[in-house]
Amino acid sequence: MSFEIPIGPQHPALKEPISLRMTVEGEVITGVDIRLGYNHRGVEKVAEEKNWTQNIYLAERICGICSHSHATCFVQGVEKLMELAPPKRGLYIRYLVSELERVHSHLLWLGVAGHEAGFDSFFMYTWRDREIVMDLLEMISGNRVHYAINTIGGVRRDLDEGQKATILEGVATLRKRSEYYFRIGATEPSFVARIAGVGMLSKEQALSLCATGPVAKASGVARDVRKEDPYAVYDELDFEVATADTCDVLGRVVVRVKELLESYKMIEQMIKNLPDGDIACKAPRKAKPGEAVSRYEAPRGENIHYIKSNGSDKPERLKVRAPTLGNYPATVEMLRNGFIADIPLIFAAIDPCICCAERTVTLIGARNGQESVVRMSDLRQQALARAKNAPVKGNAVWPF
Amino acid sequence: MLSKLTRWSRIKSPWILHLNSGACNACDIEIVAALTPRFDVERFGVLLKATPRHADVIIASGPVTRQMRERIIRIYEQTPDPKFVIAVGACAMSGCVYRGAYNIMGGIDQVIPVNIYVPGCPARPDAIVDGVVKLLGKL
Amino acid sequence: MSDTDIVESLKRDLGEKVLELTNPDRRRIFFKVAPADLVAAVTVLRDRYDCAFLSTITGLDTGEAFELLYHFASPVTTIHVRTEIPRSDPRLPSICPVIPGAVLYERELQEMFGIVVQGIPDPRRLNLPDDWPDGQYPMRKDWHHVRPEEVIPGGKS
Repeated sequence: MSFEIPIGPQHPALKEPISLRMTVEGEVITGVDIRLGYNHRGVEKVAEEKNWTQNIYLAERICGICSHSHATCFVQGVEKLMELAPPKRGLYIRYLVSELERVHSHLLWLGVAGHEAGFDSFFMYTWRDREIVMDLLEMISGNRVHYAINTIGGVRRDLDEGQKATILEGVATLRKRSEYYFRIGATEPSFVARIAGVGMLSKEQALSLCATGPVAKASGVARDVRKEDPYAVYDELDFEVATADTCDVLGRVVVRVKELLESYKMIEQMIKNLPDGDIACKAPRKAKPGEAVSRYEAPRGENIHYIKSNGSDKPERLKVRAPTLGNYPATVEMLRNGFIADIPLIFAAIDPCICCAERTVTLIGARNGQESVVRMSDLRQQALARAKNAPVKGNAVWPF
Repeated sequence: MLSKLTRWSRIKSPWILHLNSGACNACDIEIVAALTPRFDVERFGVLLKATPRHADVIIASGPVTRQMRERIIRIYEQTPDPKFVIAVGACAMSGCVYRGAYNIMGGIDQVIPVNIYVPGCPARPDAIVDGVVKLLGKL
Repeated sequence: MSDTDIVESLKRDLGEKVLELTNPDRRRIFFKVAPADLVAAVTVLRDRYDCAFLSTITGLDTGEAFELLYHFASPVTTIHVRTEIPRSDPRLPSICPVIPGAVLYERELQEMFGIVVQGIPDPRRLNLPDDWPDGQYPMRKDWHHVRPEEVIPGGKS
């Protein structure tokens, strides 16, 4: 007996419009489909009518959580077209903000994962610590979100000694708190058991479906744009690519936790080695005709922008592919053969930035075409009840 | 007498529905951050609810995309009277940077009537709390 | 392998199929093929150059033709395949048999430019809403959007 279950588009836990339609046989999902479009704003068309500087602000607002990723990816491409060489100090400040954004995004996600697994106090703790990062970002740039620190040729604002000291203090506090949370993982077997074995994606599937970011890294695919295609300062920093081999949601949590620790290391290196000099160089109004491909490692994966210029002050074509879209075929595979009650967790585990991807998910597949509407919060309650009564998985081990 | 009691309970504990009509997500994260310990809008008795049928106040963000237009109208109709709408962020007020795009209606007030506008891109959590309190003062 | 080695190796493997090849920047290799050789070129890239990862497919409207760019990334470089189809007959073979993850990007090409991708496993719309009229392709250069009259609450206009 299979049913089609539509869920959404206005959904309580994920803050973005999502619509899920799944075909199920009993409790197991057999078919998945994707219907996108609730968030499509036509940014690529609007970008053709605005000049290069206005487009930085437009690119930022493609996503609120990874706004600096899009703005930086765009500015990198434009600087290549205009053949500019921004000064080192400006580059260091720009990528310092990038790593701070990665910290804020992973802490946000840890909170959401805790909420989906039923661990609401963890959610409150991580979001409270996230406020430290938001304060640092506000001190550097003036706004908590949409920092707008980029300009073509460098950055807009400089750092002084007092700000540098505050950043180092903030990072030290965060590192202590993060290590405390990671020890919680070791002493909370119910949390680990809830997320182990859920949402399996094997290494071959991750490679053939073009998965990117922590989703691919958790399946053992060690691809990171900062190592493969190092842009600006990343070839001068010492860090490692975080991977895990468990191919499930536990692996994705572990990868993001390791990336947090690596980011703290990188921020400290950048502050200690901050070179002197200007923060920006002068940029022309028009760009020479040509094309540029710019790649960037956003917190969710690889972000790619393709920019073509025709010699005027507006782009001829801007193409944006955000990481969450690239992970959708992999998500479809992960949901198949899983339980209905695990849907909120699996979906949250890819760290969906629906606004980046402009989609809603529809899972289909019925044999008799019957429909019933289920709420995500009901699914979550079902999953928690099931996890409470299930035996603790013996082989789920917290690796720290 | 009964109306005084209901009015008091409405002011003391408004239940909120959070609606995202196609936004970049920054305003939504700030709305959720308003629930966290630092800004703590729950001390005003505000609870985030999952369904429109239990809500008093709809907090909406985002420039309305064509696909979301019908859903927003349906959700507005499902919310029982008396209901109030708070439009958060520059996108919900006028469309922000997406004004003129082919898939955007241009603001929540093109689709449903709005009571309070909270400006900002994104609106800070303090501003959102201020907007909620101002709404309660008008009740 | 450095970029120059890869460029030499590509010229040998693909031979006459390559219509032009450039290496404008470090780790950026662009080459052009005819639409009929597209699937063969992509298969060679996947099997011999470790390019199983497709970043995205870009469509461009250059006036008389549609230009398409397939962006691939390998651990040492990025390779971009260009092809061109006439505007009067916009048909293209699908690369989904070789790269299963390409289906979403091809669906987007179909709805945004009106290109017909032959052999696509799933031809439905991706981004545009359900009530979008047929035959309107937003990313074409000659398609413009007329903003509707705005209603200002309070009655003033």
